[in-house]
Amino acid sequence: MTAPHHLTLSIPEDALRDFVLSQRWFGAKSREIAHFQVVAAPVVRTEEPLLALAVVEIRFHPGTHELYQVPLGFRREWPDGIAEVEGWIAYDALADPELARELVERMRRQADVAGGEAMVEFRATGEAAASLERVRPMGREQSNTSLVFDDDLVLKVYRRIEAGVNPELELLRFLTDRGFPSIASLEGWAAYLGTPLEATLAIAQDYVAGEGDGWELALESLREGRGDEFVERLRLLGETTGTMHSVLASDSNDPSFAPEEPSAEALGLLTASVDEEIEALFLSLPDLPELEPIVGRGEEVREQLRGLSHAGDVGKVIRTHGDYHLGQALWTGSGWVILDFEGEPARPIVDRRRKRSPLRDVAGMLRSFAYAASAAEIEHGVEPPEGWEERARDAFLLGYLSQVDAALIPAGSALERLLVVFELEKAVYELRYELDNRPGWVRIPVLGIARLLERAAV
Amino acid sequence: MSEPGQWFESDPLWFKHAVFYEIHTRAFFDGNDDGSGDLRGVTEKLDYLQWLGVDCIWLLPLYPSPLRDGGYDIADFTNVHEDYGTVEDFRQLIEAAHQRGIRVIADLVMNHTSSDHPWFQASRTEPGGPHGDWYVWSDTAEPWQEARIIFLDTEPSNWTWDPVRGQYYWHRFFSHQPDLNYDNPEVQQAMLDVLRFWLDLGIDGFRMDAIPYLFERDGTNGENLPESHEYLKRVRAEIDANYADKVLLAEANQWPEDVVEYFGDGDECHMCFHFPVMPRMFMALRREDATPIYEILERTPPIPENCQWGLFLRNHDELTLEMVTDDERDYMYNEYAKDPRMKLNLGIRRRLAPLMDSGRDEIQLLHAIMFSLPGSPVLYYGDEIGMGDNIFLGDRDGVRTPMQWTGDRNGGFSRADFAQLYLPPLMDPVYGYQAVNVEAQLRTPASLLRWIRRFVALRKQHPVFGLGSYEPLETSNPRIFAHVRRYEDDVVLCVHNVARSAQAVELDLARFRGMVPEEMFGRTAFPPVGELPYLLTLGQRDFFWFQLREPGDV
Repeated sequence: MTAPHHLTLSIPEDALRDFVLSQRWFGAKSREIAHFQVVAAPVVRTEEPLLALAVVEIRFHPGTHELYQVPLGFRREWPDGIAEVEGWIAYDALADPELARELVERMRRQADVAGGEAMVEFRATGEAAASLERVRPMGREQSNTSLVFDDDLVLKVYRRIEAGVNPELELLRFLTDRGFPSIASLEGWAAYLGTPLEATLAIAQDYVAGEGDGWELALESLREGRGDEFVERLRLLGETTGTMHSVLASDSNDPSFAPEEPSAEALGLLTASVDEEIEALFLSLPDLPELEPIVGRGEEVREQLRGLSHAGDVGKVIRTHGDYHLGQALWTGSGWVILDFEGEPARPIVDRRRKRSPLRDVAGMLRSFAYAASAAEIEHGVEPPEGWEERARDAFLLGYLSQVDAALIPAGSALERLLVVFELEKAVYELRYELDNRPGWVRIPVLGIARLLERAAV
Repeated sequence: MSEPGQWFESDPLWFKHAVFYEIHTRAFFDGNDDGSGDLRGVTEKLDYLQWLGVDCIWLLPLYPSPLRDGGYDIADFTNVHEDYGTVEDFRQLIEAAHQRGIRVIADLVMNHTSSDHPWFQASRTEPGGPHGDWYVWSDTAEPWQEARIIFLDTEPSNWTWDPVRGQYYWHRFFSHQPDLNYDNPEVQQAMLDVLRFWLDLGIDGFRMDAIPYLFERDGTNGENLPESHEYLKRVRAEIDANYADKVLLAEANQWPEDVVEYFGDGDECHMCFHFPVMPRMFMALRREDATPIYEILERTPPIPENCQWGLFLRNHDELTLEMVTDDERDYMYNEYAKDPRMKLNLGIRRRLAPLMDSGRDEIQLLHAIMFSLPGSPVLYYGDEIGMGDNIFLGDRDGVRTPMQWTGDRNGGFSRADFAQLYLPPLMDPVYGYQAVNVEAQLRTPASLLRWIRRFVALRKQHPVFGLGSYEPLETSNPRIFAHVRRYEDDVVLCVHNVARSAQAVELDLARFRGMVPEEMFGRTAFPPVGELPYLLTLGQRDFFWFQLREPGDV
């Protein structure tokens, strides 16, 4: 008899732990681990190759923990195993085309599996019937694992799992149902129901080939001296974004999506949070020459922000993309397809599902243009054409405002002020990130913050 | 859709590392412009509570009621008072809160009902009918004279004559709140059905009011009887068998050794309020002597692993002085209730900020002491902005005035006409809504509100405060309250100066030799612990929290 559940629990803890800790998708590399444990392992396949979806709990000092999904395959022979248990080799199931296929086929057959304290629900939403012959890893992600089948279908398996519906599933489903064309449509999903949580495990969506994402294309065009040609595409991206927001705000009967009036203190809460971040950041600024334009100006930035907390009208709050930048848009040759609706993976799901002003997405994209302009210089030594970023912003905003439902955003100067708050929030986050990870890029957010100060001074 | 499991990872001990926030729904926010706060109003303010870092809100009674005891006189256990909205509004509040990672518990009074409750009306009019035996009736007012009278100011006896039935009925609280007869199995079952009704709606638990008094027995004072514990165990077992991750929070205003009985062997209530520690924190500040806090914690027995103390500074009731000695009570009255209007029953009906004469250092110090103790803190709405009270309002209304959201009309609490408001908001120059409100404090980086939020966030980063051991440190300076909390490898040293003057203290930290105290707010490393006693100096009403770290980790 074959019992993958039992086999999973029998894998020596050290072996599984070493495997998980060495994966790119394991996000907490710097933290000290107190405890590692398989907490559930629902069985998906009981014939060789066996398949179990292990859920592992990793506890850190001082007492917090994270859960990860680790699909495990078992064969009598396999070249790259995690461990050997009772004559079986345990290995990463997503490296095995047969098991990856099994997951998609189960979605198509809506073949749930149940056992013990958990159930895994498999669902299909599309009609697609790609043959699933060739399987390759998508290869560019870090926090999840995506596989491409025959250039038809993508299976995205979430690694770190959290209680609640993954916003990507929610948003793709909503946008697919409403016929929003600029996404890769949802084809199915898998969800874990039981102890210790209910969580989205994976989604399947159409594969869109594309000619490159916005980030690659922006840099390419700047490198080749065609920066202003690309600006025209950004107007189109603005239109697509505006339409996306309008569609996301189009159903007032669905409580998860109905646009809402922000509470009276919404702007106060936002600016207070950003203010705290700024204070903490400026307290701990290291001694770097790149920081010169903003060093000692923390109070000025905060003063600036306080002025903005009186911005008045803030429009409506809706479900948003949540992690919007050039890398999340794919150019198909004739238009844009928006990718990755997960939101910022570092934030908890309850936070990522929150309704926010659509201008937060807009600000994320605008900051991305600043990054592109600087990256062209830093990485390729190419200086963007004079005023490129400004023109990129104008084009994007023009396109955006032509399509977005005007009821969602404030008008006139209130719009500009709100954008400044969101851009500042973003730039502060960027600065912290770059200081920790990429000191060479520190000057990008520094310039952004300095510019917001100059703009304010006018 | 309101299945709570959908938004929370299962965690039967979530309440051990949670921060609670107590809301008087009528006072929080008026969502329908009728002058009275309601459930839709609470839902509208969830973003604020999420921002503040609250894990669980506790709502005062929501049930239909004649409101002769702030809603603790319940006339229908399975409905919502029309001023507050509907059961559907409540379901939506739970759903919206869960989606923000916030849980919801509500008050439930097990001991008694309003005299308006149909059960009581049936019981008095039809003694032989199905509800005839649901309350505690007697031909004389003689039995159980050992039972004390709790509402001394208004009630001459625990028995009141009912002319309709021609008998006396038993009540431990107001005479309009007849006690249910728990010796009747139908009453026991009916209350379990009430619990199920709300649990099925998605509620995360109950704050159970007045639980020591469920049963009456000859020759006893009618408090903490074994029969009451037995019934609570039955309630717990029913909940555990059918629902996950719920909490029962007991109100048992008793000495610690009696309160711990309500934890059972971890099979009764999940949480109990630690009543006696509360007045001692105030006493310590006024006397500039930490001894009362040390002593009451010394007197607090250990509790089962799966249980937790509820800690609070102030709540919707008077600052109760039942669990202090007569001398201590006189002292507290002298110091904190100089105006007789400030007294109520055995307590002081004032809010935190006025009790502290608005002293910011004192308010912060009290929060620090409370947050450092083993237990889960419960904040009272409005105290996070330093709201005041109105001692000219009757009963406990003085500490239940409208939440002050803005400096605008009605303090931003309601768009109704001023005359329509259930109570006037505070308008005095010190605590009035123009001086004290959420909007202004959000904008002011150094405000109490912003400080409380940072403090809540800090506490939540360190499960040690909810889960860790408590080890008091003996010091030669009685003005210092110092102790160590420890959970796994996280070791935290908390040192508080309750005096009005700067103090120095030498702490015996020999067992932590070589470790480096890192101040937790600013992450500043202090000199490592050496051979000599560790010398610290603290400003007036100041405190330090340190994480004790290995030298290599700092």
